[in-house]
Amino acid sequence: MFNIIKTRIKEGIKTKKINIEDIKKDNIVIFNEELKNKLLNKSKNKNFTNNISVRVVDSGSCNACLHEMSALTNPYYDMERFGFKFVAAPKHADVLMVAGCVARNMYSALLKTYENIPHPKFVVAIGDCAMNGGVFKDSYATLGGIQDKLTVDILIKGCPPEPIDILAGLLLAFGKSAK
Amino acid sequence: MKNKLDFIQNLDKDIKEAVTENFYNQDNELVLKINLKDLKKICLYFFKDLKFYLLSAFAVDESKNDGNKFKIRYIFSHSSIDLFIIIETETSGTFPSLSEEIPALNWYEREMKDLFGLIPEGHPDPRPLMLFPENYPQDIQNMHPLRKDYPFNFRPEFKKYGEYNYNKDVKGVGVFNILVGPVHAGIIEPGHFRFSMSGEPILQLEIRHFWKHRGIEKIAEGKTIYEALSLAEKISGDHCVAHSLAFLAAAEKILNIKIPENVLYIRTIYAELERLLCNINDFAWLFQDAGYSFGAQETFVLKEDIMELNKYLSGSRFNKGILSLGGINTCGNIDNLRKNVLKEKLSDFSKRYLNLKKMLLNSSTIGERFEETGYINKETILDLCALGFAARASGVPSDTRKEHPYLIYDKLHFNSKVLKNRDVFARLLIRFYDIEESFSIITQCLNELPAEDINKAGGEYADNNVNNTGDNISKNKSKNDRCIIAKNDKIDAAQQLSTDSLRSWALGYCESQRGNIIHFVKLDEKSRISRWKIRDPSFHNWQLIEFAVIGDIIADFPIVNKSLNLSYAGNDL
Repeated sequence: MFNIIKTRIKEGIKTKKINIEDIKKDNIVIFNEELKNKLLNKSKNKNFTNNISVRVVDSGSCNACLHEMSALTNPYYDMERFGFKFVAAPKHADVLMVAGCVARNMYSALLKTYENIPHPKFVVAIGDCAMNGGVFKDSYATLGGIQDKLTVDILIKGCPPEPIDILAGLLLAFGKSAK
Repeated sequence: MKNKLDFIQNLDKDIKEAVTENFYNQDNELVLKINLKDLKKICLYFFKDLKFYLLSAFAVDESKNDGNKFKIRYIFSHSSIDLFIIIETETSGTFPSLSEEIPALNWYEREMKDLFGLIPEGHPDPRPLMLFPENYPQDIQNMHPLRKDYPFNFRPEFKKYGEYNYNKDVKGVGVFNILVGPVHAGIIEPGHFRFSMSGEPILQLEIRHFWKHRGIEKIAEGKTIYEALSLAEKISGDHCVAHSLAFLAAAEKILNIKIPENVLYIRTIYAELERLLCNINDFAWLFQDAGYSFGAQETFVLKEDIMELNKYLSGSRFNKGILSLGGINTCGNIDNLRKNVLKEKLSDFSKRYLNLKKMLLNSSTIGERFEETGYINKETILDLCALGFAARASGVPSDTRKEHPYLIYDKLHFNSKVLKNRDVFARLLIRFYDIEESFSIITQCLNELPAEDINKAGGEYADNNVNNTGDNISKNKSKNDRCIIAKNDKIDAAQQLSTDSLRSWALGYCESQRGNIIHFVKLDEKSRISRWKIRDPSFHNWQLIEFAVIGDIIADFPIVNKSLNLSYAGNDL
């Protein structure tokens, strides 16, 4: 333990720098008009500033997306420095993050979680299969993504999307610019 | 029993008589065709008398115009002989259930009932498994998706059809139930757990899975090998290399493709990198669940560094998209530059890992939580045919790399450690051994990596610019460039498929971090997938958890769960 602390004091951990002007927007799609306008006018979001609680639901992903989402809390990405945090209960959440192709068996659980999030709320779709089911869209066991079931506000593309893209998407939509 | 070729001669006389036909499908796949009435006798002979363990069981729809015909295959194996026994029988609708005698068959038989409509006669728990009674119509005759006459994209109307029934209730004064899931508090995959408690100790746990059932096996039907390969990566995201390896092993056996030696080495390196990543990840979560944040975050940093290394090597943080039929895609090649970076990084990782290990072993709070928690008895392991480190922590050897060597594992020096302590701590120690073996295997592979002239072999490789700064290598590359480092550059799968019906299917297997993965792949005459049975080790090991938590307090459940760290996605398919 002493060794580790020594190295950390010497070197520190370099948190990934992220600058809102430099974010590559290839992998981020924002559907919500209000959020889009906010981006154009460079005004702050009235509802949430620097304090976003996120509830994650896995509706049938291959678990790579989950690995990447949980990587957001590690010291490299540390999303809490921007005021984003993962919460346990939907009642505490502002944002529903959905990964996966919406398996038939998960659909009612997903809806229940969505209904329990208080207004105003946003839906963030993570990964290539979240919108329309991706490769699983024709299967008997899936319902083909969330696009015609919930109003998706932000989509982050990738299979799986990298943590820096997820963070960038959240920052673009809800955050203040990075330090 | 050591000799593969005489194996059939040394069986009991009445067993030999019951076998109607036997042949070797591949070098180590002995097929025994039997009549349905002898099924119980023969399976029990292998399971009970010869101490073979079950690896997989599945049905294949071979119906023609003249009525329903299904082939059921049971795959058995043993740790001391490199041989798969495939017991093959035919049925038109029912088969005898063996779940009472071979508990590992419980889920397999229920799966066949759901997906094929075959009735296991005398099954102790015939509830639906994957097709939930709430969401799928149970009374429709043809709601059996893996039958060939089921249209591949037919979806019944979404409404509430029925109710779920728990298996057994615990009754008594002061007994209460705690229901958890399917949506959990953390960033975890969905699964439902019902704890029956009396005070603090857990009296019974019932797990309910298959929330994420996506129907991969049905989607794959009719797809080409390349399309199926991209599906194989989505079976269980953290094990994408292992699943692709298993699938490719089967496909390459059927098509009789020879793999160049340096590709075997590179595949081994990626397989071990994945094992390392998953083990470090589990290690971090065990710290986290024991409430030791400092250690956890430090280990997460190590995990992130390994993922960054993956990204540098292959362009994907999970090494997705590197494997290809007969070779490796260019994005996954390990040239001299990457070889040196890999060596340098690994020595750094191994130093940091040793520090973390020392810290964990010196911490008394960690020891208090992990020791004597989550006992899994050897008998449970043998009955449920548990695989991988879970079996090895309870005194049962289970390592495909030793039992059925694939890639180049027969040339490498490594140990597969077996402990007898049975608890969470033993499973953590096994992980430590695995991590150290992974470091040593990758180093061995890098030292012996044959310096083959790749430019000659793969035509397009020479055109590819390697960015020396390394950071942006991945972004500049298209992962779909069909550029294989193989002698036979463009493999026309359809041409190579032998017309001999014996060769239309094969088993592909590999040892993932959680245990043995086995794929059954059957191709049709156009060399498209006709049946693909995927078996992730989680499918066997999930049932262990019901036994592991009995008598523990509920606060220890996350630790027991993480000590096995099973995949929900690979289990649910």
